[in-house]
Amino acid sequence: MKKELIELKVNGRRHEVAIEPSKLLLDTLREDLGLTGSKRGCDDSSCGACTIQVDGVPMLSCTMVAASYQCDNGGNEITTVEGVAEHGALAAIQKAYGDWGGSQCGYCTPGFMMTVRALLERNPEPSDEEIRHSLSGNLCRCTGYTQMYQAIKAAIQAEQKGMAAGK
Amino acid sequence: MSLPTFKLLRPRTVEEAVGMLHRYQDDIQICAGGTDLLPSMKQRLFTPKFLMDIRGIDGLERIRVTPGLGVELGALTTLSAVEDSGFIHRHYPVLHEAVKTVASPILRNMGTMGGNICLDTRCLWYNQSLQWRKSCGFCIKKDGDLCHVAPGGKKCWAAFSADTPAALLCLSAEVNVASPSGFRRIAIADLYTNDGVNRIKLAKNEMITSIYLPEASAGYSGAYKKLRIRGSIDYPLAGVAVALKKKGKIVEDVKVAITGVNPAPHLVPDALHALVGRELNEHAATVVGELASRVAKPLTTSLLTPEYRREIIRVYTKRAVMAAGAAT
Amino acid sequence: MTSLKKNDFSVIGKPIAMIDSAGKVTGQGKYADDLSVPGMLIGKILHSHLPHALIKKIDASRALALDGVVTVVIGTDAPNTYGILPVGHDETALAVEKVRYVGDNVACVVAESESIAEAALELIDVEYEPLPAWFDPEDSMEAQANFIHEQRPNNIEKDYHHVFGDPDAGFAQADVVLEGRYIANEVTHAAMEPHCTLAAFEFDSHTGREGRLTVQSSTQVPYYLQHKLSIVLEMPMSQIRVIKPLVGGGFGGKSEIIPLEIIAAVAARKAKAPVKITYTREEVFLAHRGRPRTIIDLKTGVKKDGSITAVAAKVIQDGGAYCSYGVVTILYSGALLGALYDIPNIKYDGFRVLTNKPACGAMRGHGTVNVRFAFESQLDELAGKINMDPVSIRRKNLLKPPCITVNGLRVQSYGLPECIDVVARESKWAERRTKLGKGRGLGMACSHYVSGAASSIIRSDMPHSTVNIKIDRDGGVIIYTGASDIGQGSDTMVAQIAAEVLGCKMNRIKVVAADTDLTPVDIGSYSSRVTFMNGNATLRAAEDIKKRIVAAAALKMACAPEDVIMRDDLVYKKGVAPVAPKQENAPTVSGHVEGQILRGSVQQKRKDEGPKERMSFEEAVTAAMDNTGALGGTGSYAPPVEAKGGKHKGGGVGPSPAYSYSAQVADVTVDEETGEVTVNKIWAAHDCGRALNPVSVEGQVIGSVWMGLGQALQEEFVWKDGLLMNPSMLEYKSPSSTESPEIESFIVESIDPEGPFGAKEASEGSLAAAIPAISNAIYDAVGVRLRECPFSPERVLSAIRAKNGQKKIEMTNRVDPTAPHKMREHGGSTWYKGKGPQRHADDPSRKTTTEVPAAD
Repeated sequence: MKKELIELKVNGRRHEVAIEPSKLLLDTLREDLGLTGSKRGCDDSSCGACTIQVDGVPMLSCTMVAASYQCDNGGNEITTVEGVAEHGALAAIQKAYGDWGGSQCGYCTPGFMMTVRALLERNPEPSDEEIRHSLSGNLCRCTGYTQMYQAIKAAIQAEQKGMAAGK
Repeated sequence: MSLPTFKLLRPRTVEEAVGMLHRYQDDIQICAGGTDLLPSMKQRLFTPKFLMDIRGIDGLERIRVTPGLGVELGALTTLSAVEDSGFIHRHYPVLHEAVKTVASPILRNMGTMGGNICLDTRCLWYNQSLQWRKSCGFCIKKDGDLCHVAPGGKKCWAAFSADTPAALLCLSAEVNVASPSGFRRIAIADLYTNDGVNRIKLAKNEMITSIYLPEASAGYSGAYKKLRIRGSIDYPLAGVAVALKKKGKIVEDVKVAITGVNPAPHLVPDALHALVGRELNEHAATVVGELASRVAKPLTTSLLTPEYRREIIRVYTKRAVMAAGAAT
Repeated sequence: MTSLKKNDFSVIGKPIAMIDSAGKVTGQGKYADDLSVPGMLIGKILHSHLPHALIKKIDASRALALDGVVTVVIGTDAPNTYGILPVGHDETALAVEKVRYVGDNVACVVAESESIAEAALELIDVEYEPLPAWFDPEDSMEAQANFIHEQRPNNIEKDYHHVFGDPDAGFAQADVVLEGRYIANEVTHAAMEPHCTLAAFEFDSHTGREGRLTVQSSTQVPYYLQHKLSIVLEMPMSQIRVIKPLVGGGFGGKSEIIPLEIIAAVAARKAKAPVKITYTREEVFLAHRGRPRTIIDLKTGVKKDGSITAVAAKVIQDGGAYCSYGVVTILYSGALLGALYDIPNIKYDGFRVLTNKPACGAMRGHGTVNVRFAFESQLDELAGKINMDPVSIRRKNLLKPPCITVNGLRVQSYGLPECIDVVARESKWAERRTKLGKGRGLGMACSHYVSGAASSIIRSDMPHSTVNIKIDRDGGVIIYTGASDIGQGSDTMVAQIAAEVLGCKMNRIKVVAADTDLTPVDIGSYSSRVTFMNGNATLRAAEDIKKRIVAAAALKMACAPEDVIMRDDLVYKKGVAPVAPKQENAPTVSGHVEGQILRGSVQQKRKDEGPKERMSFEEAVTAAMDNTGALGGTGSYAPPVEAKGGKHKGGGVGPSPAYSYSAQVADVTVDEETGEVTVNKIWAAHDCGRALNPVSVEGQVIGSVWMGLGQALQEEFVWKDGLLMNPSMLEYKSPSSTESPEIESFIVESIDPEGPFGAKEASEGSLAAAIPAISNAIYDAVGVRLRECPFSPERVLSAIRAKNGQKKIEMTNRVDPTAPHKMREHGGSTWYKGKGPQRHADDPSRKTTTEVPAAD
C-alpha cells in the first residue's frame, strides 16, 4: 500500500513521517522515529509493554493506527518513555524503580513508567489498593510486582520531599 | 504482527460515517477503541479494505443527562469515562460494577461503550492466528465449515464475551442506531441474535451512536460478578449482572442477565417471578441461580470447562442477587 | 574472605541499583529487536500446521514473485543437525524431511518489510503427507512404528533407572508408606521479550568474499550459540561473533539455541544482506522449551518418628518433538530428590518421551519443580498419617552437612534449618495453623537448587567461566565477562565483586559482557551458575590485578604487600587512618583533579619526599602501570572435582559446588462454592550463601515464588490433539498485579566456603516450594489433596464437591484432580485424530471416535 505523509507530536516535538495507512503507532514510533523504548510483547493487546500516553492517558500503541493519532488542534500529544526524564535527570519514579528493584529485565518497564506516571499525576497519594489496581494492565514476568510497589512509594516520598528517590 | 493493509477513513460526522458504511458495506470495519478489532485484524479474522476510525466524530463521547428521560451515553464514551462517572455510579450501579471489570485500566481508556456492545463473539478455536487456524481446517465462524465445539451442528457457538451488555440488559437500555435513512432505537434485549457468526442485528450500513439508560431504571441497586482466571485483562468466562429494587424488605423489581456463556447475553426471565413480592433471602437467591444456570449454554469455547462455567453462573447469580439486595 | 563479617565490606551486601537500570527506565537500553543496521531485511518463518507429516514438496515460486521478497530459505539450505546437548543433535534450522509438531519450522521468507514477509508466507505451497501423531506420552511410549525420530524407538528419548541404598529394605522399615500419582501440567517461561536475532555478514578484505558473521541475539548462552552456528553454517567459531544486547527475561527460554537464531544466520547468508527475525508472541509459545507435562508416580516411606526411610519415583516427561535439554531435565528430576533432606534409600525411574508437540527444555528450577510438588505434597500427607506437624517432619529429616548424599551430592553450606525456622516464626505457624477458620489454611514446603552444574553439558575440561579485567591510565576498571545478564543482574554482580576486591568506587567499573569477540568464554546464564562461577572468576581476576597494584603501592609506602589495604578508592598502610587529617597535604592527584592522571605519576615523583602512608586509587594504579603499562588480570573458575558427584550413568547431572535452600509458608483462602483460591500471603526464606546485593536477591526470590504461584494456580498449556489452545499472553494466564499476593522474603546467609564472598544461588531455588506450599495450604483449608496442578478453580471445586458428597458434576474432562490417571486434553472435537478437516482424511489415526462435548 502506498505511503502517506502524517504528522505526529511526540514528546513535545513534531515529526512528519511517510507510512502505510495500516501501520501501527508502535511500529511507527520504533521504526520511523527511532523511539525504541516502547516495546512489543504480545500481539494481542494484553501485556502493556507498548504503553504510551496520549494527552496524558495511558494507551496501548500496539493497538493504535498511527494515522489516527495525527496531531491536530492541540490534541493527540503523544508521550513515550523517552519523554519521561525531566530536566536532564531521571524522574523520581525512574530512579526509584532502579533503586528498589522495580525493574529486572526491564522489558516491561517503559510500559510501567507510562502507567505509573499517569497514576501519580492523577492521584499523587494513591492507596496501596489503587496502586495495585492501576498496575493491572501491565504484565511483568520478573518481579511479581512487589518491589514495584516499594519503588512507587519511594518515588511518592521523594516527590514530596522534592528530591530524587535515594535509598 | 502487522495489520493487513487497508485504507483509513476518518469521518467527522455521523452522516459521513454511515455514508461510508453504505458505500463500502462488505469491505469496511468500524474502529472505535480498536481493542477488540485490531488484535483480530492482526490474526486476519478481519481484512477490510477500509478501516473507518470514528473517533473523530464530534459529540459521540458525551454522557448526557436529560431529566425525565434518562441518560444518554455516546457510543464513543470510553469505558474509563463511564467507570469514573459519579452519576452512573450513583444511579446505575450495575453498569458501574460491570464496566470496572472490563479488561484492564489501560484497555478501558481505549475501549468504548459502543465497542463493548458490538464486541465480536469469542472462541478458542476462532481467536487465533491465521497460521493456527489452518491446523484445524478453520471453523464455521471464519473460513471453515465445522464448529469444533459442537461438531454435530452447523451453528457457531462462540461466546458473547462483553461485560457491560449484561448490565445494560438489566437496565432495559436502548441503543440509538444511525443509518443513511436516519436513526432508529433498539432495545438492547433485541440487539443480539444468539448466533456466533452474525451476532448482532445491525444492517451493514448501520452504526450505534449512543446508548440510553431510561430514568425508570435509575436507583436500582446493582451487582456484577465476573469469572476470569486472571484478576485483570481477561474477557469474562461467565458474567452475571443483577439490578434490583426493594420496598422495605420486599423485592419490588429485579432483572438478572448473564454473559460469557452463550453466543449472546441473556436475561434470566423467570428471575422476576422467583423474587418479586418476596423477601430476599439465600434460598430465593439460590433459586434464581438455578434459573440462570438453565439459561447458560456454555461449550468448550474457553479454557475453563463448560460444566464449571455453568456451575459458576449458578453460584455467582446467587451471590450477585444477594449483593444487590444488600446494597439497597 | 568468608570469615569476614558483613560490615567489613564496602560494596558487597549493599542494596544498590543495577548498573544498567537507567537504560531500562528511560528506554535508552537496547534489546535485540531495538537494533537495526543499514540494508536490514526482515525474516518471517512458515510453520507447520500439522503435528506430524512428511514434506513431499515445497514450492516457493509464488512467494518469490511477490514484490519485496528477496529470498526464501528451506531446510536443505542448511541441513546440519544441532541441539543444545551433544547427545541430542536432532534439530535442523528448518525441517528437512518431515515436520514433528504444529509450529515446526518449514521455510523462512526474507523480505523488505514485515508485512511483505507475512503476505509471502501465504504464498508458499507445501505438500505434506500426514503421519499418525503422538500426543500423550504414555501412548507415545507404546508406539511400534511412525516414530518421531527414527533413531528413538518407542519414542523414548532417554530413560534412566537409578537405585541408591536399599529402597526395598527402606520401605520395609517404614511404619507408613504412601503411593500416589501426581501430574503437573506444562508451563512456559513467557519472558516479556519475544526472541529476536539480527544476523549480518561482512566482507573479507583479503578474499573479497563473504567473511565474518555477527549475530546479535536475545540469548542466555552466547558461547553455545556461537558453537552451534559454527556447526550449522560450517564456519569456524573464530569467524562468528555473538553479541547479547539487553535481554528481556529468559527463565531458561533463551538458554539454548532457538530456531530463529540459526535461521536468521542462514537467511542472511542466502539473502546476502543482514536479516532480523523477531518472533511473534505465538511463535514464542511454539518455540517453547518450557517445563514439560510430568507424570510422577511417587512412593515414600516414613517411620513413626517422621524419618524418611525410602523414596521411589517413576517420572514420565512429555518432552515434545525434540530432545532439547530433555536428558538433563529427566536426570535432575531424579538427582534432586537428594540434597534437600536426608533420604537413605532412593529408587528412580525416569522416562523422557517424545511427542508431537513443541519441545520442552529448561525452565526456572529445571527438572526439580514438578517432582518437588509431588514429594512435598506426599510428605505433608505422611505427616498427617503419623500425626506430626508438617514443620516438624521437615526438621526431622535435615541433612547433617558437610556430607555427601546417598546419590553422591556434596553439601557444604546448608541454611535450610534456619529457613524453616524463619518462615515458621514469621507466619506464626504454630499459633495460627488450624485456627484460621473455615476455608482458610496454611501450608509449608521446602525446595532447593544447584549453583551451577559441576560438570558442564559440553563435556570439556575448560573452566566454566573466565573473566578479564583491564585497568588503564584513566583509572577506569573494565571487566570483560562472558556472563549473560538477562535481567537477573549479573553485570552488577561482577561489578560489585571487582569493586570490593579492588577497593574502588562502583563508578569506576565498566562491564563489557557477553560479546564473544571481546569477552572470554562463559558457558552461559542457566542452572543458576553465574554468581557462583562467573563471580568466582571475577573475584580471581580482580585479585590477580590487585596483586600488582599492591606490589607497587607497597614499594611506595615502604611496607610489606600484606600491609597494603585497598578500600573505598584509597590505598593505605595497615594501621594508618584511610583518610589523611586535614592539615596534611591531600593526595596530589586524584581522578577528579583536571584529568591529570597522565602526568600524575611524574608530579607524584617530584612531590614525593620519602615513603607515603596513603594514596589514592589512581596513584596506586599509576605506580603499578609505570612498570608494566596497562594492567590486566585474568581469573577463571572450574568446579572442584570433589563436587562432581557419583560415577553412575547420568551421575553428572545434579552435582553442584553448592546448593541453595528455601522454605515457604503459604496462607490461602479457598472459596468452597467456586473453588477459587486466594493466596493471602507467602513467607519465603532463601539461603543464598551471602546476599551480594540484597535488593537483587530479594527480587529474585520474590520473582521465583511468584512464578511458582503462577504454575500453582493459573498457568498451563491447554492441548487438543497437539494443538496448543492458548498460545498468547491473553490466554496463557501469567498473573497480573490484581491477584499477585504479598510475598515477604527473608534472606538466610549460610556463607558457602567456595562461593564468591560465600554467595550461592538465588534465582531458582525458591520456585519449587511455592507449588506444594499452596497445595498443602489448600488441604489445610478445605481438606482436599490436589495431585494435579495448576489448582485451577474447576479442579479445586471438583475435589471439594467430591469430598462433600455433593451431586457429581464432571467438570475436569474426566481427570480427577485428586487422583489424576492421565494427561487432560481440552474438550471439543479431536481435530487431527478424529473428525478433522477433509485434508486429514488419509490420516490412519482418524478412526478414533469423536468426543461429543458434554454440554452440547
